[in-house]
Amino acid sequence: MTNVPRLTSNSIEVPGALQAIETYFEKGWSDGLPVVPPTPEAVSATLEAANLSPDAILGIEPVKGAVITAEKAAINAVMAGCKPEYMRVVAAAVDAITAPEFNLHGITVSTMGAAILLVINGPIAKELEINSGVSAFGPGHRANATIGRAIRLIVMNVLGTRSDEGLDKATLGHPGKYSWCIAENERGLPDNWEPMHVTRGLGESESSVTVFSGLSGAQFGDHASNTPEGILYSFAERIYPLGLGVHEVILVICPEHAAHFDEAGWTKQQIGQYLFDTIRKPESEWVPNGLPSGIKNGGEGDVSSLQSPESVIPIVVGGDGGAWSAVIPTWSLGSRSKAVTRKIKSNG
Amino acid sequence: MAPENNGTSFRVLDPTATQSIATDGMAERPESLAGMRVGLLRNDKLNSEPLLDAIYDVLAERFDLSSAYRVNKGDASRPAEPEFLSDFSNEVDVALLANGD
Repeated sequence: MTNVPRLTSNSIEVPGALQAIETYFEKGWSDGLPVVPPTPEAVSATLEAANLSPDAILGIEPVKGAVITAEKAAINAVMAGCKPEYMRVVAAAVDAITAPEFNLHGITVSTMGAAILLVINGPIAKELEINSGVSAFGPGHRANATIGRAIRLIVMNVLGTRSDEGLDKATLGHPGKYSWCIAENERGLPDNWEPMHVTRGLGESESSVTVFSGLSGAQFGDHASNTPEGILYSFAERIYPLGLGVHEVILVICPEHAAHFDEAGWTKQQIGQYLFDTIRKPESEWVPNGLPSGIKNGGEGDVSSLQSPESVIPIVVGGDGGAWSAVIPTWSLGSRSKAVTRKIKSNG
Repeated sequence: MAPENNGTSFRVLDPTATQSIATDGMAERPESLAGMRVGLLRNDKLNSEPLLDAIYDVLAERFDLSSAYRVNKGDASRPAEPEFLSDFSNEVDVALLANGD
């Protein structure tokens, strides 16, 4: 092998693969699941696949000033089970989560217990076989499982944000903190909808990762509605309990529901405007938490739960069968953590 | 039970990073709180205010404090801005902080 990048991390000798796995458990370097032993050869191959020098800085966590180098990110990516070609996505995701507006420190140490949701757009989703379809949030797809896991391991190992003896103080947390990575189902988009990354300013032929500080989602079935208004009533019922001041909330729209928006010719912008106009009550009827649901259809002077029509971020996700969609709130209702999109560099 | 050696030994890499932590050290401790202007710095959490007030009341019983200066840094998840801290420090002799979830 020529031009092997020089790695500077400390190394330890282990007598075999199983012993290596146990060593990482004992040192507190795992997420509770076995890791792939990160040999220098595997880490170098991962860096090379993304054209990254080991000392390249992928991101700096703004509050603590903690540096995430390509070498440390790659070590954790190998441990997570990533193929070398996934490293481009991991690198872009590290760039995204360290953007000041994402507030990585706040979302990872808070009792609110947010996870980091990665949503991939563009050609790379197909290239890397990142699942966007049947059981998109479920197991069984290496790219989804390991890219999301790599980001969590980086947060735990490089930033020290662990729940055992570190900074993670989440009251409940949720399973997305192990791994949470999907692609948008661009095939299921209505004809007049652009993919999320295009809405957020990138070109359709580009690939991207968008990071969200996602809380546990609320899935619902609405097999009866076949109009935008009917489906959005079901979404609104899940947004009401969030209360006032929703700056960002993710609408996970399944393809069957998306088809009804397509048939009616509704745009994403219309969805945001409709919900902004509809999820309203007199200010006196809103309470900070535990809000009972109930659409009032917004009388004169009523206050919207949403800060603006742009507060809702619709994405199409999931398998073709079934009318199951979901609302995923974000940490601080998005007031102190904003979704961040970063282009994934091509290797060409 | 530790697994048995199942192959040839090899080297693996440490995934953690040693982050340098900046520290300015501890501020000089006053001999007494008598006559002191006490800053009460909330972090925007609901219970930080009553917690700080309760501590202030206890101190006020024991010392002849000059005054209380209450401010809210407005965001529990981020450090206070340098300008905010500078203004705060100009108004107080000692400061109490609280995180009241």
